[in-house]
Amino acid sequence: MSTDKTPDKRTVDMRIISEWIEPNSSVLDLGCGRGVFLEYLIKTKSVFGVGVDWDLDKVGSCIKRGVPAYQGDLAELMKAFPDKFFDRVVCSRTVQELINPSAVLLEALRLADAVTVGFLNYGHWRNRLHHLTTGNHILTEINPHEWYEARPTHPISIAEFESFCARHNITVTRRVYLGGDWETPSKRWHNLLCGYAIFEMKQ
Amino acid sequence: MNDADENPLLTRKGEIGLVRYQDFDYDDPFTFEDGQTIPGFRLRYETYGRLNKKRDNTVLICHALSGDHHCAGVYSIRDRKPGWWNNMIGPGKPIDTERFFVVCSNCLGGCQGSTGPASINRETGKPYNLDFPFVTIGDMVRAQKLLMDHLEIPELHAVVGGSMGGMQVLQWAIEYPSYVRRIIPLATTSRHGAQSIAFNEVGRQAIIQDPEWRGGNYDPEAGPKVGLAIARMMAHITYLSDKGMERKFGRRRRDGGDINFSFDVDFEVERYLRYQGQSFINRFDANTYLYFTRALDYFDLPATYGSLEAAFRDVSAIALVIGFTSDWLFPPEQNREIVHALLRQRKHATYAEVPMDFGHDSFLVDAPNLYRLIMAFLWEQ
Repeated sequence: MSTDKTPDKRTVDMRIISEWIEPNSSVLDLGCGRGVFLEYLIKTKSVFGVGVDWDLDKVGSCIKRGVPAYQGDLAELMKAFPDKFFDRVVCSRTVQELINPSAVLLEALRLADAVTVGFLNYGHWRNRLHHLTTGNHILTEINPHEWYEARPTHPISIAEFESFCARHNITVTRRVYLGGDWETPSKRWHNLLCGYAIFEMKQ
Repeated sequence: MNDADENPLLTRKGEIGLVRYQDFDYDDPFTFEDGQTIPGFRLRYETYGRLNKKRDNTVLICHALSGDHHCAGVYSIRDRKPGWWNNMIGPGKPIDTERFFVVCSNCLGGCQGSTGPASINRETGKPYNLDFPFVTIGDMVRAQKLLMDHLEIPELHAVVGGSMGGMQVLQWAIEYPSYVRRIIPLATTSRHGAQSIAFNEVGRQAIIQDPEWRGGNYDPEAGPKVGLAIARMMAHITYLSDKGMERKFGRRRRDGGDINFSFDVDFEVERYLRYQGQSFINRFDANTYLYFTRALDYFDLPATYGSLEAAFRDVSAIALVIGFTSDWLFPPEQNREIVHALLRQRKHATYAEVPMDFGHDSFLVDAPNLYRLIMAFLWEQ
């Protein structure tokens, strides 16, 4: 993966994900960080949004932004809601760090009609090359730290994500593939050329 | 050098300094939830900062079981013991008195100047004692609302409080939804659970079984001091944590020496608890302790309103609920439940869990990460 960090690279997926969100709908953001995305949704689409993050400092930033946030375990929060309580659950740049990804994603599908998952494709050729040539852990924008300082990460590929969906009878209703720059669309051989993928899942 | 120069609570930047209390006398009949009526009541309260022109900058502080209206500042130039939340309230502090008009009132049923069991019943000319109506969290809040009306405050920017104060905060948002814009309940619960009722019952029995209690009709100068001190000692343990006590006292001996093979004070923690018990009997009325612990026990929002969601149905305040990792009296789960129910009602609610080792009383402790949360929430537009 490219290591130059442009502001666009951090927001382009946010733009695409927000396009799929209806005005005045309700959204749960898993791994909401500092609430930048939800703040944008609340301002531009008047959504009822709530974020969840385990980091107290980040939840503090959400408070400053006026974004409702829940500090703690996302699985525990999700259990507190009835079926289809939300219109959409967003899981952007979070899925690779989930302790039990299938449980969380299936729970997300219980909570909402649609689930948006944005994830980094570790099958991208540069990741493959990096691993092949150095044999080392892959550094990414999302997880830019050396292994000994990084959170545990599942290096998933697009093909692996598709097979997860197939196995659980999850319908993928939308797919957006972005290239290694996360900006220009990736047109073919996605598992090799796509750097960042955004899927909409329904069940 | 005079005393004022020496007292940092007067001279240090960020201190409110000298404060004084005021009394609000409500002269109309007031009917409690238990159906009983008193001809009027007094609430003792303090205010800090100034009400702005739009009269929309009031922050109401609700105190806990053993707290009172004196939550910041000092009473005299020699006073070294500031109000109970002096670290939180003051110019430039998280609850900033340069920006907010802060009000804190002693609860109805209290013993620090407000009408309570020790007050004189106008009809009999004697103290109410156990003839005082049972006071609930709802009664406390309705009485505070009358004080707000008296102060001509048209809306509250925020209501903030921990423990029993947190219960009042929730009650405020439920009872007066259009009046309250923000709430910060800390270390609290929506339903007083079995363990908490059990602890309260032991405290009450310590008082009631003290022969000096005399069916509640004790001489104000005497009274069940032993029972009240024991109740306080036991309750105080529930406000701390294993880790916090270990760090503060460990097995330290009172005199740093060897064990004495006696039942007198050997350990520092014993000395501390006895001190807590002794200082409490000098400032707190035993009957108020009975009444307030009962108010806690009877607090059950899910039962009162059908469900916690139903209780929150009309709430319009945005909420910041804060739990503390080491609080085992009102543990994080009970604070989280409040947020879950608010969110299920699609209310604007945030939950923050502050990692602190001081147990239930963590909300009273000097803690920069707690300050940041409260400041951000109160200041956010």
